[in-house]
This record gives sequence, C-alpha cells and structure tokens, in this order.
Amino acid sequence: MPEPSTADFLQLINENKGIIHKVTKMYMDKVEDREDLFQEIVMQLWKAYHTFKGSSKFSTWMYRVALNTAIIFFKKENRKVDKTSLNEQIDIADHNDNQEKEEKLAYLYRAVQELNPIEKALIFLFLENQSHKEIAQNLGITEINARVKLNRTKEKLQQIIKKNGYEF
Amino acid sequence: MNFDQLKEDWNNNNNNHGEVSENMLKMKEAHTPIDKIRKQMKQEFFVQLLSLLLLAFTPKIFGFSSELKSIFILFYAISCAFCTYYFFKFYTFYKHSYDLGLDSRKNLLWFYYEMKLNIELYKALTYILGFIALSFCTTALFIIKGTLLSEILQKISMFYIVINAFVAILVIGLITEFWAKLYYGKYVKQIKTIIDSLDEE
Repeated sequence: MPEPSTADFLQLINENKGIIHKVTKMYMDKVEDREDLFQEIVMQLWKAYHTFKGSSKFSTWMYRVALNTAIIFFKKENRKVDKTSLNEQIDIADHNDNQEKEEKLAYLYRAVQELNPIEKALIFLFLENQSHKEIAQNLGITEINARVKLNRTKEKLQQIIKKNGYEF
Repeated sequence: MNFDQLKEDWNNNNNNHGEVSENMLKMKEAHTPIDKIRKQMKQEFFVQLLSLLLLAFTPKIFGFSSELKSIFILFYAISCAFCTYYFFKFYTFYKHSYDLGLDSRKNLLWFYYEMKLNIELYKALTYILGFIALSFCTTALFIIKGTLLSEILQKISMFYIVINAFVAILVIGLITEFWAKLYYGKYVKQIKTIIDSLDEE
C-alpha cells in the first residue's frame, strides 16, 4: 500500500476542520485546552490515516477518531476550570457580534461543560444531524440505549441551561 | 428549549478559522492515557536498567567473599532473566499501535484492558525482583559469619525468620500497589468511569 500523502491528508483536514473545532469547543472550556485537544485530534488523525480505507466518507471516519480522542483526552492538570473566561466569551459574543445565535451557542458550550464525556458525544452527534442508529454505531451501544441516553442528556442539558439563567 | 432551532444554528455556525499546517503533525507526541502510561513506563525502564547495571558492581563495592559472590551471580542472573522477559513485554506494549477509528465502546475497552494488563505486568515484575532481593539478603545473612546480625540470626527461631520474610514481602506488595495506583491508577479509573457511563441504561 502506498504511503499516505501528507498533502492529501492536510487538504482533507482543512476541508473538514470545522468538525474538530466543534469537538474541541464541546469538550474543553479554556482556549489553551481547546488548542491542545485540536492538536491532539490532528495528531491522532494523522497517526491513524493509514487505517482509513475510503469505504466510508472521510468526515464519517473523522467523527469517530475526533470523538474517541476527545473522550479519553485528559487536559493538563495545572489548568483549572475557569468560568470567568466562559463568561468573557459570552460577553464578547453578546457585545461584539450582537447576534442571538452566537450567544445561544456560547451558552450551549458553557452548559455542555457540565456533562460527562459520553453525554457530550451524544449531544454533539445529535447536533451534527446523526440518526439514533448512527449515534449507536459511533458509540458502540444499542439503538435503544442511544435513544434513551440522548433523551436523558437533552433533559439534563435543558436543566443546566435553565439553572444558568438562560432559556431558549 | 427548541433543539431543532439549536441544531440549525449549530450547523450554520462557521468554525473554519486557521489552517492546519504540516508542522502541526510534528508538534508533539500524542497524549492519550495509553501514551502517558507508555511514557512513564519508558522512564521507569531506563531507571530500572541503570539500577540493574549498578547492581552488577555490588560484590566489588561490598567486598563479597567468593562464596557470596557466586550466590550473588546466581540471583543476579535470575533477576536479569526476569527483567529481560518483562522488558520485552513492555516493549511490545510500547510499540503496539491502537486504532481510534473503532466505535467508542470498543476503543475504551481496548484502552482499559491494555492498561490493566500492563500495570499488572509491572506489579508482577516488582514482586519478583523484591522477592529475589529478599531471598539473596536472607541467604547472605546465613553465609556471612562474625557479624552481629548473623549471630542473632543463628540464635532466633526459624519461625521469626519466616514471619519477617512474610512481612517484608507484604511491605513490598503494599509499596508496589501504592506506586502503581499513584502513577497509573488514575488513568484506569477515569477510563472505567467513562465505560460505566456508556453501559448504564
């Protein structure tokens, strides 16, 4: 089998890097941690690129590797959860962009930090328009389990957002 | 809360800032829990290798008699044989690649059992080396004549010697368990928690 081409890989990554950015925002609250996770995902994708056979879309394979990396990624221990930085981000979204959608997403990213890694994966895959079947396949659980877990996670997320004083 | 609207906003949100460059592929080593354990095992491997090399000079440093030197060589050779076997196992683990393209459950289970297995191997090696060291020390005390300790040893009952050996092994065991838990246990625990949250219905 020919050596995977760096140029081809970089092109595919750059076409789909939005997925990685969304995963990092979902899993990490601090900018430095997001950068670390972004690099980690790119590294893992590159390391595993030779296993990508092209039987599925690159983005489908990328979802799995990116999520699996994020689930087991442990952020640097000397960095504590800094809620101030999250509030600042929300303020920036509020004042600079003045866009309701941006604000809504900023609150969403803030709220998901209170979910566990599997719940984050469920919400992420749901927001990425994946069906219960696809979610189940990605996580390696049954479709019923995926449905039940997703419903519970949505309820939990609603409560967190409400608790934080926001509703949409 | 309107999840459909949220989904729409999510999908319309543009996250495409910054290009991924070739440098990013070389920037650092991977840092999954397995990589962290591998890195720690690599560091410990060099420490153990150095200790084993320094241990070879023990007879010269302590001026062992020819009789004691022969026994030391025997114990040293056994230790080297065990270390070679376990180092080979650790090396295999170190070089073993993993596939993050599997589904999350399979991926997590793979990480969990690989970590558990290698931690158990690490503990087994420590037990074995501790046992060999203790056996050599006990043998040496019986052989070396004229010291206060050997005279005491001649007088006390065999029962006390066995009890002491048992306690020493127990202490080695406790230290090993504590060490393994301190350095590797947290990663295993974190992965187990994630697996449990995936399995709950």
